[in-house]
Amino acid sequence: MTKKARELLVVKDLAQHFGGLKAVDQVNLSIHEGEIVSVIGPNGAGKTTFFNVLTGVYPGTRGEIVFNGHEIRGLASHDIVARGVARTFQNIRLFAHMTALENVMVGRHARTKEFLLGPLIRSRAFREEEHQTEVTAKELLDFVGLKALGNELAKNLPYGAQRKLEIARALASEPKLLILDEPTAGMNPTECRDLVALVRKVRDRGVTVLLIEHQMRVVMDISDRVFVFDYGVKIAEGTPKEVVANARVIEAYLGKEGA
Amino acid sequence: MTKLLRWRWLPWIALALAAAFPFIAQSLEMPYLVRVGGVVGLFMLLGMGLNFTLGYAGLFDLGFIAFYAIGAYTTSIAMRAGVPAPAAIVLSVAVTLGMRALLGLTILRLRGDYLAVVTMGFGEIARLTINNLDALTNGPKGMQVAPWRPLAFLSADPNVQYYLLILAGVAVGCLASRRLENSRVGRAWIAIREDEIAACLSGIPVRQYKLLAFTLSGAFAGLAGGLFALWEQFVTPESFVFWESILVVSIVVLGGMGSLEGVLLGALILAGVPPLMQATLSAEWINYRYLFFGLILVLVTLFRPQGVLPSSRREAELTS
Repeated sequence: MTKKARELLVVKDLAQHFGGLKAVDQVNLSIHEGEIVSVIGPNGAGKTTFFNVLTGVYPGTRGEIVFNGHEIRGLASHDIVARGVARTFQNIRLFAHMTALENVMVGRHARTKEFLLGPLIRSRAFREEEHQTEVTAKELLDFVGLKALGNELAKNLPYGAQRKLEIARALASEPKLLILDEPTAGMNPTECRDLVALVRKVRDRGVTVLLIEHQMRVVMDISDRVFVFDYGVKIAEGTPKEVVANARVIEAYLGKEGA
Repeated sequence: MTKLLRWRWLPWIALALAAAFPFIAQSLEMPYLVRVGGVVGLFMLLGMGLNFTLGYAGLFDLGFIAFYAIGAYTTSIAMRAGVPAPAAIVLSVAVTLGMRALLGLTILRLRGDYLAVVTMGFGEIARLTINNLDALTNGPKGMQVAPWRPLAFLSADPNVQYYLLILAGVAVGCLASRRLENSRVGRAWIAIREDEIAACLSGIPVRQYKLLAFTLSGAFAGLAGGLFALWEQFVTPESFVFWESILVVSIVVLGGMGSLEGVLLGALILAGVPPLMQATLSAEWINYRYLFFGLILVLVTLFRPQGVLPSSRREAELTS
């Protein structure tokens, strides 16, 4: 990435404490437009908590999250989605008994507006918006490679397809930043390669991607930059190559002996 | 079976049959059937209303009948003050909507069992308030309501008039329910029922949408209550006991939560059969009618826990 790219997300001194536990503490980082950035770290390092604060699931205890020039810490999750941050979940959270297409259509919520009256009188504006919602949702299903599975219930999709469907649902809100929480968890090597290709395609659409990832091969492969978390603090950042050579990172993963 | 009911013309055929029903009943010299039909219609309205809260948004409400009462009393009080009947009904709907929104604002942060207990409490408090607010409601003695004869050009029999009026309400309610269900709003409700956190992180303002479902339920209760008061020309707190709330919940659960067809069928069975038995069975059997009622509920719970006519989605949710 060139240094000139605009800063999309700036996090300053962010903390999320639960009583005495500092799940996330003193995190400073920034992400530029068009990057793919990975967050890595041992289990319990605070990665998912960090994502949860970014997306409004937790309010954060201290600090600033400036997204696209606006402070978003403490906003409700749906407001943060409306501002252009969408996410997926570590353990897939689809609407299991809605079809794949309906799942993506739900994702359009923040970008559509027909409320009570339109649906009740089936106004022209409502019908056009519904039609547009469906068209966009179908395009997105096609984009993630699930075109043929639109009418399947989400719970009946194969595992890899469910992961992709979550991405399609998130993309439906037209995010500027897409946050993926362990998108390759539980995937076999073929599915993994597929997903890496999809993440690149997403970036090429102009969406900045921030992901938690455990498989180092994937991290090395797709990340422009990497942040390393341990015990709730960011202990290193840099290109994948810089990070794997970093003594503190090796220590965090392997202990002092390994360093 | 559900597929059959989605058949395009079926709703219109059902509506035509329902509209012809009171005239058929009269020609067969069974006028009490018209009354039973009207009562079933009122419970269809109540069931459809609760279906927004319980069926679509998945929120348990055990005090729904309070809003039926508020609707009935609003119309009665308005009539006493000289407001014309149609305006009184509109007022009932507005008041129940408002009260429901206020209640929702205060209690919707509760979930599941807690919400059920609080709504149950509200139901009782509302009834006791009506019972003791003599100046406004005339307390346990009840209120007379001046007669109003709608649709007089169709029939001279007030039971038939109100039956048809209620039927019109049911038809409009069905249409509104169905249209909301198949829209961005309905999808949002189902998403919330499926996974609240995922819904919120897909951009749905969960609190507002729960409040919306909860509030809209009130409109149906207000309409049903207003029609009930005008039809009976008399309201007393005794009509709105806890048992009635349970009956409405049973209608929604028995029919299949979230399924419009299910709610209609549930009301037909649970609100229709007991009075029918009362009218047809010999005196010694009448006392057993609630035994029969309980038996139906037990059988449905055992063999069709998803309801008699569940929405296909709800069926999948409850059987997997």
